[in-house]
Amino acid sequence: MAELSSGGDGGKGGKKRAKKQSTRVDMTPLVDLAFLLLTFFVLTSTFSKPKVLRMIFPEKLKDPINQKAPEVKNGLTILLVENNRIFYYNGALDKTTVLLETDYTKDGIRKVLIERNAAMIKQLFEYQKELEKIPTADTAGKNKVLAKVKEAQRKSTLNVIVKTDDKASYRNMIDMMDELLITQVAKYYPVDEGFMALEKTLVQSKIKS
Amino acid sequence: MPKVKMPRSTPALDMTPMVDLAFLLVTFFMLTSSFRAPEPVLVDPPTSTTDVLIPKQVFLATIDEKGRVFIDITNNNVKIKVLKKLLKSRKLSAMSEEDLKKFAGVGPIGISVKELATFMEMESNERTAYSESAKGIPYDTAESKIGQCELYEWALETRLEAHNDYKEREEEAKLKNMEFDKSNYIQFAIKADGKAPYKVVQSIINVLREAKVKNFQMITGLESSPTK
Repeated sequence: MAELSSGGDGGKGGKKRAKKQSTRVDMTPLVDLAFLLLTFFVLTSTFSKPKVLRMIFPEKLKDPINQKAPEVKNGLTILLVENNRIFYYNGALDKTTVLLETDYTKDGIRKVLIERNAAMIKQLFEYQKELEKIPTADTAGKNKVLAKVKEAQRKSTLNVIVKTDDKASYRNMIDMMDELLITQVAKYYPVDEGFMALEKTLVQSKIKS
Repeated sequence: MPKVKMPRSTPALDMTPMVDLAFLLVTFFMLTSSFRAPEPVLVDPPTSTTDVLIPKQVFLATIDEKGRVFIDITNNNVKIKVLKKLLKSRKLSAMSEEDLKKFAGVGPIGISVKELATFMEMESNERTAYSESAKGIPYDTAESKIGQCELYEWALETRLEAHNDYKEREEEAKLKNMEFDKSNYIQFAIKADGKAPYKVVQSIINVLREAKVKNFQMITGLESSPTK
């Protein structure tokens, strides 16, 4: 202990032994601090960097009215409306068109798209298998298969047109784009002109019923 | 019968391993974590199954539920240059170098260029409050006015400056004989709230399209990939 020895200590001459002290330090505050920091970093750190969904929009047309309407074969038009509802119809729009309803679940729109795009999915799956067989070092071989994939996508005949009304949410659109990615649809077109008059009336009558 | 006396001792526990572990974890989290950028608005983006990571450098347009737009450019150099151009084209007095630097550090902004001078004079907590009640970057959807709105100018100037910045870095890398990271190009990202009407997001995309931006990176949350 930090005491001063008084000197005249009975004069016994014996060596004074220092008391043995334990070298233990109380670590509790240290642990407290460590865990405080730990909690702080766990709570503030962001683990996964955000992911992105790429969307490519063409440059705006200078003269949109005088453009020729593209001839769409094997078309599928999807209409996104309020309350997370989806309507779709096949082919061109005319008076005999019947709207079908579906939703954003796995058995909803995804099933529809998979059915329509089955050939493409099958083909891409085969290419995928081919890719896996090629050793990693063989980039030329891989590029060959990737070129085939591109060619298949270019030749794809399914055209999906996505239209939204004023009340569809951004989440609806992203979900839709995601489904198109999942089902490997190569050609899809988000249209920003809104619904056509006939589509509007068809959707209205569907919503009311 | 004599009582058995238990030796009194404090229940001491050797905490050294625990401390070791705790500090190990602290170090791990300290080194791996990147802090969340300050956000004036909380936005809940929709989820998707893509696994494409966000580009290193972005022009980020944050769109909240009400359709307000906040923008940020992750490259400070470009951010300052773009602001300088905007101040010039809007015929506003130039900012001091100090203020420009401060501006680069404030994170996303959602006010018009006119208000920026007073905005920069505020304390940081005042600024956050101001941002929260801000109207967002002004933009116009009318065909004839798109080319004059501020959002358009921000996007256009960023696109041009992004190109210059890329060229500059490429030359610098060439001079120093270093490898050049080609992926490091400012891209346009949109982080919109899932509940925002798509029409609003679309009109903002249209403004950016007018500025000849074609590629959009829609920021989404993570969702597990479906099994086929």
